[in-house]
Amino acid sequence: MVHALEKIHRLIKPAGALIDIHPSTEPPSIEIRLRDRFIAAGWLHETDDGIEYELADQALATVMASDLFALERSGTFGFLLYADTLADLQKYLTEEWKDAYIDDVTLMRAEELMSSIERDREVIVHETIRIARFARK
Amino acid sequence: MAVRIDPEDSETKALHELADFSGRRMLEIGCGDGRLTWRYADRAAQIVAIDPDADDITTAIEDCPAHLRDRIEFRVSRIEDFEPPEELFDLALLSWSL
Repeated sequence: MVHALEKIHRLIKPAGALIDIHPSTEPPSIEIRLRDRFIAAGWLHETDDGIEYELADQALATVMASDLFALERSGTFGFLLYADTLADLQKYLTEEWKDAYIDDVTLMRAEELMSSIERDREVIVHETIRIARFARK
Repeated sequence: MAVRIDPEDSETKALHELADFSGRRMLEIGCGDGRLTWRYADRAAQIVAIDPDADDITTAIEDCPAHLRDRIEFRVSRIEDFEPPEELFDLALLSWSL
């Protein structure tokens, strides 16, 4: 990752900047919405437990310490995924988010909530994303 | 499949709060199928968007709106193997790829 950032540094004009977007290390939450009620069901896990994102943070810290980039601004935003059913969510994970999985406890809780007689219901995955702008030095 | 991703457009809002893409020469690393590229491409002057996944790049090229085709170049490449053009970039964007 550090090598990639060093290469990017060489590709940017002297007054240029780097924008990085990557998920935070906290796992995405899974909620069930029943009409206007939002009920926590558990967490979505990734096979590496978010280590990849921790390494990304470390790589950015390394290139800042090396004086290649300086942090200008940073923040977070919520990135939400809505699925009509748990089957829809699991199909999406299988096809598009292959290293993600739902643990058994969360799955049972979500299934129980989704079996409610309330017809206005959906599954929500809430992921916190970090975004930052770095000036090239 | 009834899945909706970021219908609030939070990612686009956060991106545009952080940078002005107007007239910029952009390098996007890890562009995938262009999902994020389309969110700023209208403003940028030129974009080189790279991703190691050839299938995703094919999708991005197929989905690229006609009015953006002369401004965006999609390439199958990892950043480590990327052959740099003569002109450097104003902004680089790591889109969920570090």
